[in-house]
Amino acid sequence: MAVKRTAPSPPTPRPNPNPNRRAPVSGADAASPSKRMLAFHFIRALARIHRSTPVPRRTRTIRRAAYSSMARAANPRRVWSRALLQQMRARRARTRRAAVLRRRVSAAPATPPGGARSITGEDQESTTLAALARTTAAAVPHRQAGEPARADALRRLVPGGNEMEYSNLLEETADYVRCLRAQVQLMQGLVDLFSGR
Amino acid sequence: MSGRRGRISDEEINELISKLQALLPESSRRRNAIRSPASKLLKETCSYIKSLHREVDDLSDRLSELMSTMDNDSPQAEIIRSILR
Repeated sequence: MAVKRTAPSPPTPRPNPNPNRRAPVSGADAASPSKRMLAFHFIRALARIHRSTPVPRRTRTIRRAAYSSMARAANPRRVWSRALLQQMRARRARTRRAAVLRRRVSAAPATPPGGARSITGEDQESTTLAALARTTAAAVPHRQAGEPARADALRRLVPGGNEMEYSNLLEETADYVRCLRAQVQLMQGLVDLFSGR
Repeated sequence: MSGRRGRISDEEINELISKLQALLPESSRRRNAIRSPASKLLKETCSYIKSLHREVDDLSDRLSELMSTMDNDSPQAEIIRSILR
């Protein structure tokens, strides 16, 4: 897919839906993501987690919410934000399929290997594995002439980094770092707030 | 890629790299010269990204802990609930 090299445009600010929400917000500038949008997505996810996620799973879920809300608040033209959202969706689909498989396996009473149910189960499993193999095969780092060796490590760290051209990789990295930093600041601010400081 | 006139020039690459350098935290900027070799900067960027990932993990953990304190009845819990509503 061709990636056009355009300057990142500032996200259009949406009206704050919840006037009671008090979150660490500072003015959004063209270079960094809208802190308001970041806070909106993340805090909404936190509220949902607080309501419906059991305690032992919360850390993991909060971490995933941090990355998805960061990707949602970012410019959708960014390769990294699209790649991140894709990864999250794929992981959710895999867990759902795995859960379905587990239910089928446990529901089936000691079926012989040639049984109809286990074949369907195997088909599902192999499609999942095949899809996984396809995505990993496509994700082979694409090294260009004149690109320093370190770029490979960077490609692995930035979501979607494997398919980018070197110059684009640098731009995307800069945007990714800015968004990551803003997300960390948001979370730190929330921790301070919730600790009653 | 369509719409591009040939390769990206080295100058543009250097510009992008110096923009990246501007994003790195102060401490590593002081250690490096004004124009560090690209590979060193990429290495710094990689470790910075990794440290940011670690911070996200750590803060998620703390937020999860703090969330469980919200299950109690306390004036703090009330404040937090009103924010999240």
